[in-house]
This record gives sequence, C-alpha cells and structure tokens, in this order.
Amino acid sequence: MRINNLILITCRTINQGVALEGGKNTIENVRAAGICAFDKEDFKKLDCPVGTPVKVITEHGEVVVYSTISEEGPHPGIIFIPMGPWANQVVNPDSQSCGTPTYKGMKASVEPLPNGKVLNAVNLIKLLKVA
Amino acid sequence: MADKNIRTVTDVICPFCGTLCDDLEVDIDNKEEKIVEVRNGCQIGTKKYFSSNPSVHRYDKPLIKDNGSYKAISWDEAIDKAADILIKAKRPLLYGFSSTECDAQGKGVELAELLGGILDNTASVCHGPSLLAIQDVGAPTSTLGEYKNRADLVVFWGSNPVHAHPRHLGRYSDFIRGYFRKDGSNDRFIVVVDPRNTHTAQLADMYIQLNPSEDYELINAIRAMLRGVELEGDEISGVPKKIIIELVNALKSCNYGVIFFGMGLTQTLSHHRNIDAAICLVRELNDHTKFLLTPMRGHYNVAGANQVFTWQTGYSYSIDFSRGYPRYNPGEFSSVDLLMRDEIDASLIVASDPASNFPAAAVKNMFKYPLISIEPHHTPTSVNADIILPPAIAGIECEGTAYRMDSVPLRLRKVKDAPGDCLTDKEILERLVEAVKKKKGE
Repeated sequence: MRINNLILITCRTINQGVALEGGKNTIENVRAAGICAFDKEDFKKLDCPVGTPVKVITEHGEVVVYSTISEEGPHPGIIFIPMGPWANQVVNPDSQSCGTPTYKGMKASVEPLPNGKVLNAVNLIKLLKVA
Repeated sequence: MADKNIRTVTDVICPFCGTLCDDLEVDIDNKEEKIVEVRNGCQIGTKKYFSSNPSVHRYDKPLIKDNGSYKAISWDEAIDKAADILIKAKRPLLYGFSSTECDAQGKGVELAELLGGILDNTASVCHGPSLLAIQDVGAPTSTLGEYKNRADLVVFWGSNPVHAHPRHLGRYSDFIRGYFRKDGSNDRFIVVVDPRNTHTAQLADMYIQLNPSEDYELINAIRAMLRGVELEGDEISGVPKKIIIELVNALKSCNYGVIFFGMGLTQTLSHHRNIDAAICLVRELNDHTKFLLTPMRGHYNVAGANQVFTWQTGYSYSIDFSRGYPRYNPGEFSSVDLLMRDEIDASLIVASDPASNFPAAAVKNMFKYPLISIEPHHTPTSVNADIILPPAIAGIECEGTAYRMDSVPLRLRKVKDAPGDCLTDKEILERLVEAVKKKKGE
C-alpha cells in the first residue's frame, strides 16, 4: 500500500561509509546506501516483506531502493535514506542562496514495488548522462 | 620473531574523517607493497587503507575517453588535453579538495586563479552554512583535547558520531578519561538532540526527540528560557516544555559544556540560521557557565581546504575568479547553485565524487560538459569523466598536512608507495598549472 505524507531525511551510516571506501559500484554499496529505513509501524502499512524494493517519490524526483526497518526508531512519519546517489535523486536542490542543498526534510510518498530493480550507483548515475 | 617481509608504520594519521585519529598502526607487505593489517582504526578508516591496494576499483595510469571506452595515455598527453579543456572553458569549475592535503589545495587555488574559474570545496554541501554563521557572529570554540580534559556536558545536535565519526566518542567526547574527568563517561552528561533515536542517542544520558527541520525554534526557545521568558504552549518543535526546562537546567549547571553539531543543522531548511542561533545560544550560556561549540567536519581535510582557501583568497569556499580577483558569494558561486543554473561549461574534480553527492539535477548539468577527474578509484564521477588522472592517496601514499575538525593541523604520513604511474594530487595540479601557463603564454 502507498504511504503519503512522510518526511524524508538523508543521513550518514557506518555501512554507507565503509561501502563508499570500498568500491562505489559494488553490491555492498547498494545494500548500504540504496535503502530506505522505515519506522516499524509505518512499515506495516506498506504490507510487504522487509527488503521489498520501494519507490520513494518527492516533488524533486523518484528512486527505487530496498526497504528496511529502522534500528533507530521509533520515528513515525519519517523515513531515512543514507546519503549517496540514491538519496540524491529525490532531495531538494534548493540552497536558499547559501550553497548547501536542502538534503533533509522533503515531503515524500512511498509505494512497494515488488518487481522493482534497484540499480547500482554507477548505473543509476549513468541515467543522468544519457538523459 | 618479527616477519621480515612486513614493515609496520606507527602513529599514522587516518585520512578519513575530521577526527583525524593519530594512533593507527599499519602493516605493509614489503614484497607486494600492499597493506595487510591496520590496527586502532575504525571500520571506515581501516577500509580506506585496504582499498588503497591495487584492485579493479583503482586507477593506476591516466585514461582518456575514446569512442565510449577508456584508453591509457601518457601523463604528458593527459595533462596537455586536460589543460586544453580548462583553457577553452569560459566558466570552469574546480571542485572537491577536501580529501587531499593542504599543498595540493594551494595548487588548486593557483590553477583556479590562472583560469579565472570557480573554486569550491565540499564545505559547499555540508558545513558551508556553519562558515556563513561564523562569519556573521563568530564562534566560541576550542580544541578536542580541551574537551577531552574538561567537558562534563556534551551535546550532539544533529550529529551521529557512532556512524559518521566512529572514534570521536572514544577519543575526545565521552568514554575517554580526561585530566579533570578521571572517570571518563561517568564524569560526563551526554545529550543528543535529533529527530531519530540514533545509536549515539541510545548511548546518551538525555535524548531530545524533536520534529524534523524545527531546530531553529527549539534553539530559540532555549535562548528565551535562559533569559527567564515563560514559554507559551505545552511543547516546542515537538519537545514537551518539561523536557526543555530539564535541558536548560542541565546546560546551565555544568562546569564546561560543548555542542558538537552536524548536518542535522546545516542541511535542513534554516541552514546557516540554525548555526547562527546555536552560536548565539552558546554565547548566552557563557553568562552562566563555560560553553563552546565545534562543527563535526566530515571529510578529513575539509577544514584544511577552508583554511588554505581563506589564507590565499580571503574566502573559505564558493570563490569566483572570473574578474581576475577573488569574489565570494555562496548561492551565486557555490557549485550546486551554478550547476542548477547551467552556468558551468567544464569541471575539474579533485578528490571528490559530486556525481554521488550532488542533487541529480545538478549532476545532469555537470555531465553535459567536459569533465576531468583526479581520483584514485572508480566512482560515479570518474567513470563519466573525459579524462581520469590517477593520484597517490594523501595520508597513505604521500605526506601532507591536514586540519582536524577543531582546525589543529597534523602531518599526514606516507605508509606505502602508490601503484602504477600515480602522481600526487599536488604534482598533478602543479603540472596542470605549468601547462596552462605555457598555453596562455605566461
């Protein structure tokens, strides 16, 4: 089931840090940063198994990532994607004239996409070159 | 008996995060010139050392894109072609610099000035707002050693060091015993303010869960309360008034307090206004007790990039040389804003991966124009570059200076040779400077 009115925040995680030092086009990087962490109760509303790909949609774009349940909850209504290429498909580029985009606090919707394909970092970014 | 094939380098400075841990020990296989063991490092720092070994992810010779695939070329040819791209561009962007050493950063400034280009570092997308606020209202700050020895109250606001600066708590801010804090963690009161019950929050004595992007309101509520104002309503930013009173009492009653703030403050809606308010809060807390603050810098030498750019141009990031002299205006000359307006017509990326770290719309515009990447590993930026110039990794394969998050300079050590034909970032930028000068007849 689709969930609307979520707040998306991007964040650092140690797994994302390790993965980016070890080869950005690896599957480890996908598993570390191509994920979206949900509050446990919010996740139940999605009505799908943990790990199911989900499409995260904001007014700035959309991206397919793996779903997971947050170890740092409860945080109802808030979802987290680790900083990186996946998060940056949906963040707000507006810096309000200070230089730094608004990487945290976007309104987001999420829908399960059981057959969705989560691309690796290089293939995901390559789409920006072709487009 | 020690293995003769292995040499050990001690007191190594870790070139991963702004904590710059200075106690690593690295074992290197003499025969293969490969790192085989790293002691004392965190998970991420250790991985950085191992990933410097030759692998399918590592570049070891200059490459140029030719009909969709890369072919190896000589350094002379690579520098010549890169210089051609940069000279031809009307508004080249020189970006990155935070994961390399200070001498290379200095050469980057020289090149940007020669080209009349844009010079920016990664503070632009992380702690740039902190720099703006510090320029506005100053910053009462100190070194990490002082905090270790004296702080009895430590606030992590919008930062999660367990994940982003894994040894910070153990070396400076929580578990470590200090001169006046003999019992380490038991002598300190840890407060975490974050919308998420982070792993750092789970270690804290007090966790304040606030609504996302409402830090500004909470900081100012605390400031009002410090002045004796009675707050209206039952909660501010989702935090019950009772909890805010407890927090204010804790802040006022400590002997020596510090706020470590992260991107939870700089990357949310209010950006530099959050930091402005946090600095004013710290200033006002000094009416009651000793209080300081320090940004949790991410890249290991982003503080160095700010220092070098400032002492050479007067400004710490977002610098435009198009008029022949440096001008500073984040929002106008900051990389993401320039790319969003499609003003950049060539990019030189040094020790950074903006294709991963910038919003997609900005990356799309960066990819429209020639791209040169000085980068040791395959990254989403380098694999889309027209020319790849492979460097030795500073702090592992060459020496240099780096500035810790508290702006203390430390000397990076070389532990092993770089693979293949890699040159240092400084050498590459020097050669680019010479080539550009020659082509411009200077």
